[in-house]
Amino acid sequence: MLAFTQPVRGELPSVFEAKGVRVEIGDHTILHDVTFWIPKGEFVCLCGPNGAGKSTFLKAVLGLIEPSAGTIEVLGKPMDEAHRSVGYVPQRKGFDRSFPARAVDLIVAAIRGKWPLRVREAERARAIEVLERVGGAGLVDKELVQLSGGETQRVFLARALVNDPALLILDEPTAGVDAKGRAEFMDILAEISASDELAAILVTHNLAAVARTAERVIYLQDGRISAWGLPHEILGRKSFEALHASHAGGFPDED
Amino acid sequence: MDFFSEPLSQAFMVHALVAGTIVGGLCALVGVFVVQRGLAFIGDGLAHAAFGGIALGLLIEVAVENATLVALPFTVLIALGIAYVLRRGHVRGDVAVGVFFSVSLALGVLFLGLRPPEAPPVNIESVLFGSILAISPDDLWLVGGVAAATVIMLGLTWSRLAYMTFDPELAALSGVPVASLEYMLLALVAVVIVVSVETVGIALVSSFIVIPAATASMVGRTLTRVALISTALGVGGAAVGLLASYHLNVASGATIILTLGLLFAVGLAVRRR
Repeated sequence: MLAFTQPVRGELPSVFEAKGVRVEIGDHTILHDVTFWIPKGEFVCLCGPNGAGKSTFLKAVLGLIEPSAGTIEVLGKPMDEAHRSVGYVPQRKGFDRSFPARAVDLIVAAIRGKWPLRVREAERARAIEVLERVGGAGLVDKELVQLSGGETQRVFLARALVNDPALLILDEPTAGVDAKGRAEFMDILAEISASDELAAILVTHNLAAVARTAERVIYLQDGRISAWGLPHEILGRKSFEALHASHAGGFPDED
Repeated sequence: MDFFSEPLSQAFMVHALVAGTIVGGLCALVGVFVVQRGLAFIGDGLAHAAFGGIALGLLIEVAVENATLVALPFTVLIALGIAYVLRRGHVRGDVAVGVFFSVSLALGVLFLGLRPPEAPPVNIESVLFGSILAISPDDLWLVGGVAAATVIMLGLTWSRLAYMTFDPELAALSGVPVASLEYMLLALVAVVIVVSVETVGIALVSSFIVIPAATASMVGRTLTRVALISTALGVGGAAVGLLASYHLNVASGATIILTLGLLFAVGLAVRRR
């Protein structure tokens, strides 16, 4: 791993900790000994070329696949005990538009852990409150099929924030969103992360998103962390070229 | 009033109407989850698995009216097999269903061919297209019992099933037991299909699952409303189709499906999405 500025133990409490995470699928090792931690309130961008293991790592963090070795903890607890402390914004390229759902249903489902038959007044008020925070006031009763790409992602961000998480996980959240929508979304994200001291892991290919949000960057390559440091260190011309050399065309694209 | 009173003065038509409306409503209700999950093909797949099960029953010399009892566990096993393959994610849903579908059909043909020459002949037409006009009171009890059990199971798991249907990944992250629900849902669909096959036949049962649910999903605002509309369409389509077929003296199953198809066309015209 290239030595850059990493967070200092003891300064801030740890929110997220991955230790020696190894994931094997069939005969292939997708992740080798991935180890890093995130202090309270730090916004981390997880970058790397396609096939580097970013999505696999997210799945392991979310508990959707079981690592063959290592541990992943949120606030010192394994993920299955900590799921309410984690807000997740999925990639929404292939959103199923036939499901009859309103924004408020989606947000209340995250509060209750099941789909609401009827939304209570207090839950509706809470949904409106989080929607206002993400600039989505007025979307509460909209059906998801009526929303634009940017609006959809605001609703999913509101959903992720509704249980006051300590950690936000975002998987390419602005894929399929236009440039203006992307910039607005990233600004809202950076502002909320700062004001709530919310730690975040953002998986993205988008250099502008990294520049707007990242306090620390982790660069994953061939299933290993090849760099972990401050954005200007990783994205500085020299190191960027060094990282980039073995993976021409991989990271990051400027779309 | 002759439209109703004349056919209903005959016991076989009353039995047919009760069976048809229960099967129509039941298939339409489970169909909501099948259609919303993009598994419309599964109705056909499991109906053909039921054929394999019925043929197995006939091979081991179970009386033809009891072959359903062999088809039930056989079809549920196939459904659990499909659910397992879907969960492993090695192949796409339509491919998984397609493979199980053809293998079950082939097994059915094989089982029928292995029967001894002196075995009583099988009326393949009634297996394929159902024999709604020959439904016995015993069959009604079976269909009614399965309908009641299905409504109770769906009622108890409704809000979790709905969440899983919206997005299995998000539901799992909220603590919904997605794997168990998926196995339960497919097993339930298998049971519904097997008890419906006697009434509407292997070739037609999947239309009962897909058409009302697809129609309702174009007009309902919430999943619960979609389910209520779908069930009402299934019940209404079966009743109207059956009575129409009586007066027109044409095949009942086909007339019911054409009625459902007509309602689908109306749904397309007034759809909200």
